Amino acid sequence: MKNPQKPGQETNRKIRPAGWQIFTVALFLFYMLLPIVSTYIFSVATRWDRTILPEGYTLEFYIRAFQTSYFVTTLRNSLILSVATILVSLIVIVPTVYWVHTRLTGFKPLLDVLMILPFGIPTVVLALALVQVYNFPPLARSPILLIGAVVVYSMPFMYRPVSNAMQAIDALTLTEAGQSLGANVYQVLSKIIIPNILPGILSGSLLVFSTVFAEYTLTSLIVGAKFKTFPLLLVEYTRINGNIAAAFSVVSFTIAWLVSILILWVGTKGQDGAAETRQAR
Amino acid sequence: MAYLDLKNVTKVYSGVDVVHNFNLEIDKGSLVSFLGPSGCGKTTTLRMIAGFTKLDEGTIRLDGEDITTVSPNRRDIGMVFQAYALFPNMTVRGNVAFGLLMKKMPKREIDQRVDQVLEMVRLQDAAERFPHQLSGGQQQRIALARALAVLPRVLLLDEPLSALDAEVRVVLRGEIRRIQSELAITTVYVTHDQEEALSISDKVVVMNRGVIEQIGTPEEIYRTPQSHFVATFIGTANQFLGKVSGIDTVIGDHFNLLVDGMKGFVDGKQVVVLVRPETIHVESEQPKHDGWNSIPGEVETITFHGAVTRLGVNLHGQRVVADITVAHTKPISLNQKIWLLFPPDACQVMAVDERS
Amino acid sequence: MPPSKRKAGYNSDWVRLVPFLLFCLVFEIVPILFLIRGSVVDKTTSQLTLQHYLNLNHPLYLNSFLNSIKISGLTAIVGVLFGTFIGYAIYRWPSRRVQEILITLSDVTTNFAGAPLAFAFVVILGMNGVITQFFLQYFRYELYPTFSIYSFSGLTLAYIYFQLPLMVLLILPAFAGIKREWRESAQSLGANTFQFWRYIGVPVLMPSLIAGVTLLFANAFGAYATAYTLVEAKLSLVTLQIGYMIAGEVRKDPAIGMAMAVVSLIIMGLSIGIYQAATIRARRWSKS
Repeated sequence: MKNPQKPGQETNRKIRPAGWQIFTVALFLFYMLLPIVSTYIFSVATRWDRTILPEGYTLEFYIRAFQTSYFVTTLRNSLILSVATILVSLIVIVPTVYWVHTRLTGFKPLLDVLMILPFGIPTVVLALALVQVYNFPPLARSPILLIGAVVVYSMPFMYRPVSNAMQAIDALTLTEAGQSLGANVYQVLSKIIIPNILPGILSGSLLVFSTVFAEYTLTSLIVGAKFKTFPLLLVEYTRINGNIAAAFSVVSFTIAWLVSILILWVGTKGQDGAAETRQAR
Repeated sequence: MAYLDLKNVTKVYSGVDVVHNFNLEIDKGSLVSFLGPSGCGKTTTLRMIAGFTKLDEGTIRLDGEDITTVSPNRRDIGMVFQAYALFPNMTVRGNVAFGLLMKKMPKREIDQRVDQVLEMVRLQDAAERFPHQLSGGQQQRIALARALAVLPRVLLLDEPLSALDAEVRVVLRGEIRRIQSELAITTVYVTHDQEEALSISDKVVVMNRGVIEQIGTPEEIYRTPQSHFVATFIGTANQFLGKVSGIDTVIGDHFNLLVDGMKGFVDGKQVVVLVRPETIHVESEQPKHDGWNSIPGEVETITFHGAVTRLGVNLHGQRVVADITVAHTKPISLNQKIWLLFPPDACQVMAVDERS
Repeated sequence: MPPSKRKAGYNSDWVRLVPFLLFCLVFEIVPILFLIRGSVVDKTTSQLTLQHYLNLNHPLYLNSFLNSIKISGLTAIVGVLFGTFIGYAIYRWPSRRVQEILITLSDVTTNFAGAPLAFAFVVILGMNGVITQFFLQYFRYELYPTFSIYSFSGLTLAYIYFQLPLMVLLILPAFAGIKREWRESAQSLGANTFQFWRYIGVPVLMPSLIAGVTLLFANAFGAYATAYTLVEAKLSLVTLQIGYMIAGEVRKDPAIGMAMAVVSLIIMGLSIGIYQAATIRARRWSKS
């Protein structure tokens, strides 16, 4: 999909886009950007309820936002949740993908189905199911349960890049090469496979990170205020103080942009690496 | 007047002439090949005939009508692509009938015509199948049937066999030629494969870097190439450099060559003499042929090609290639000293071409 | 022949898959099974019953299903129609650089669903929102109270925000799969642009369009955070109702929530199932 239109196609080659294209894309951009841009402006506006543009600008709300009692706590909690999810995902998924790509290829259909499953389960349903079943201590409404839920929810996002990377490096052939040189399975995994799928692991981790960092539903329904994450704080403030909520939104958006850029960057590096590997062979 | 007439056709991409002053007259019912290396402009010219690429200069006339600016869907041409391009959402019947559907033919006639055409390509049983269920060769036959169903004025084929296996290619090119001559349909065939072009064409147009090098029958192209490029592009040719002396001698560094009457060359001019490997005879002892060129050399390589054995012979430091058949009397071995013999009329003299 | 190739992929090593399978069982499969069981069992008598499903036949619950299906269907269709159009505009754009930027933008914005998005829409279309102000000042037109962002229509606009780019991302590869040679073949056979799209273009695109409708439908149906932030109690949606039951805000038998959840799973399952089938067909055609 990176190359939607072949360049140099004579019949399709134009220097300028057609009028209707410009119009359509402009409207699209307007729709996409207006809410975001408005939020950014709102977060620095003194008063903006009577005019098209704000009456004045201030950084006051950011200062107050960063000073709210739970700000640091929630950021920290979100970070912990994201990192924990990434770690659990990696431990559970990477070896599994490896086995399915090498010795247990018959299980690939099963794995594919299991990875589609989270898309078919709305987050509220997952939350309901988990809360009903694990209603006993120590799991009841605990962060552990939440991590389990979030890992399930974000599984497809880790799976796809890792699986693609595993496919691209032809893990089976590399494994056999390693074994013929005397390495046991764990050595093959740690010294050969994982270093070569690092871009995939990185992509997957970043995707999981941004997904989990913005996750609200599972967190609020399973643990709620006991483990307040950043999105929970944001929703709280939408009902208390709009300007501070805007500042939080800006933080949320900005983190999302940064992670997206990182993902893109890792993606391009990954392509170079895979191409080199193929050439070297 | 010719049926398909291209005059001064030129196409420019980013300041470069990819096709330059292309002039060609094609007779009705004949099969003409455009042959040349990648990037020589053959496909671009074909696409200009089809109407997918616009001309920058020149005109194209079909059956007297100027079609230079006519849009492709009104030119009444049939096109077959390298990538088959069958419509995946339709059965074979749907595909083949498509052009007739566009012509708004009545359904019964469409069905009749489709059956006829499928029979011609010998795929009557495939009518209800879908493209993805067919092999490459079968898909290409259907693509051909689809193009022919509308009985177009011109049939254009753009490297139709390049994507197929070698065996399928040989069979299919024969089929294409058979159908083309049965229907007497004017055809332009683009290919980079010499064997293909030489085996099925009435005329071959050899192209290089956007210009026509030579137009002629396959025999003419092979036996009497008009330029250095054609001579070296078609088949293999040994090249001997030398200076002209008189009307029948070329003086080289180590030996002189007797050639058939040269015309239009000034004494002392630098020329290259081309000799095809299959015209060279090999003798193990000094031969007595008078009037023939005979040059001693040492056998460096022997390569068995089945019907023919190719010898690589060292002639005063130059590697010369000679093809001998099994009919040759005595066996040849490596490092053996032999004489190469060839008559003056096997020599083709031409000016040294800086371009190729 | 190396042993790993001889055994066609099923062997005693399946033990290695146990951690993963166990994880899925514990956190996904068993809970869902419990959910299904809980929805067909009477808690007091421990007998199988469909009573809980029959209890859904109450305006409150019926309304929520109706609203959820309405908003999901509406935003799916709008998303597919406009998304396809926008996708085509992007696909035919001459500059590769611009295309890549637009694709990245779509990638990012489709994941923006949730509270920040809901809040952003309040900023632009709330009572004192930017666009509300704009209409007031330049057209002397009062959006409120006939329109409110905290309503079905407001939520629709918010949902469309992330549905559009999702469709754009889905349809672009489909356009790329329409081979240039098909177009040229059709032209050489006498078809004009309209005929090409009618007989070949749209039919080939159809599986992707169906995939789009079902994916966007499922996407909207399962959404929670955006709705919770924007409309909360003002609009009844299936996901919100289930959410209330978990939070214990409604002192009702949880079995009803489970019944609702199971019905949702069936709806989602159908959508995703059709989506998968359509995607496979689309991929098969683009390969030929």
